[in-house]
Amino acid sequence: MKHFLGKNRFGIALLLLASLASCTTTTIDEFRQGETGIENHESVVILGRRQASDYETRSKFVECVGERMTRGENSISVVPEQEFVDAMFPWFEPRTAPLRTRDLERLMTEAVVSERMTEFGVRYIVWLDGFTETTDRSGSISCTIGPGGAGCFGFGSWEDDANFDARVWDVGSLTNVGTISTDATGQSYLPAFIIPIPLIARVEANACSRLATQLKDFVNGS
Amino acid sequence: MTGRVKTALIFVAALYLTACGVNNVVIEGSFPTPKINKLPLNVAVYYDPALTEFAYIEYSETGSEEYNIASGQSHIELFSTVLPAMFDGVVVVNSIEEAKDLGVDAIFAPIIEEFQLALPAKTKLDVYEIWIKYNMRLMTADGDYIADWVLTSYGKTPTESLRSVEAAINAAAIVALRDLASSFSLSFSQVPEVKDWLNTL
Repeated sequence: MKHFLGKNRFGIALLLLASLASCTTTTIDEFRQGETGIENHESVVILGRRQASDYETRSKFVECVGERMTRGENSISVVPEQEFVDAMFPWFEPRTAPLRTRDLERLMTEAVVSERMTEFGVRYIVWLDGFTETTDRSGSISCTIGPGGAGCFGFGSWEDDANFDARVWDVGSLTNVGTISTDATGQSYLPAFIIPIPLIARVEANACSRLATQLKDFVNGS
Repeated sequence: MTGRVKTALIFVAALYLTACGVNNVVIEGSFPTPKINKLPLNVAVYYDPALTEFAYIEYSETGSEEYNIASGQSHIELFSTVLPAMFDGVVVVNSIEEAKDLGVDAIFAPIIEEFQLALPAKTKLDVYEIWIKYNMRLMTADGDYIADWVLTSYGKTPTESLRSVEAAINAAAIVALRDLASSFSLSFSQVPEVKDWLNTL
């Protein structure tokens, strides 16, 4: 038994670290303001908010949520963000995009906009707003190279916090039907013993997955 | 042995030169056609060499040239996409005098007045930012003043680990150019002098 433990101590430590690293906490908060439901021929467009000066909702996250909503049971047809924004140009650019449903109402009076919206079959516009922040960086790793070889030693860790809000606008009734907020946090570790072993908490991926599932249910009205 | 030393010296010299050289960035991208109502106007467009050959140089903290950003051609591409969507007829002219003989309703001449670049290394923000200030001039077919207004555009793009600085600058510039296209196309007929002139037609 002692022999077994000795041999596998490194493996057990690694497993322990991996299990710690995969520990991500995700909180979803849903606020419903209206009835929802979607027909088979209708679709959803997910757009990232980019008005803030110090951050912008990453298009990769928007893509991730959209892609996950098209998967699995009760999947929903999602119009790709760039395709929609280009087709609607210049009405959904960061400076011109509607900020309130009142602005959308005004926008829909433009024949070009309402025609395109009908062509895409858009029933809901989902506005994603948020970002992932890295905090509490600690530890240090040093790498050396010499005639005998190279190696890194040390330990680093940091915390990632992903905060995203999804506001759902009903294009039919031109109202805000609800908001879903996601907050995911997780600790990542980088131990280095000759080679660095990254044990990354998949914070943004978890936030994306949970938000997409919740959005899918919300839009389907379940 | 001497050969190896020579190779190493050349390699070091090449590295040194690379580190000292200015990074050239030519802004490239495509722009969608604006979906707006056309104005029933025939407009001549004059691109001043100050616009077509526009390049901005960003200096490092030590005062050496760090980035040379050439955006003149991308502006021409942008206006070539936007203007035909805004007006019934658009013709590019080589001089204001040439436009006078064409019997157009107006002559449009944009120029860049100011260009600013903000790099994450300097601002400590996680975004690359570009501001551009334009002077838009609209003249009658005779070259008389109709309107002269300032327009600013802004573009930013987040830092991404697998993207080079040059690619990020290009992405921010494209966002700024799209911003110009959207604000110009939507605000053109709202510029007070342009509005007054349109009412006289």
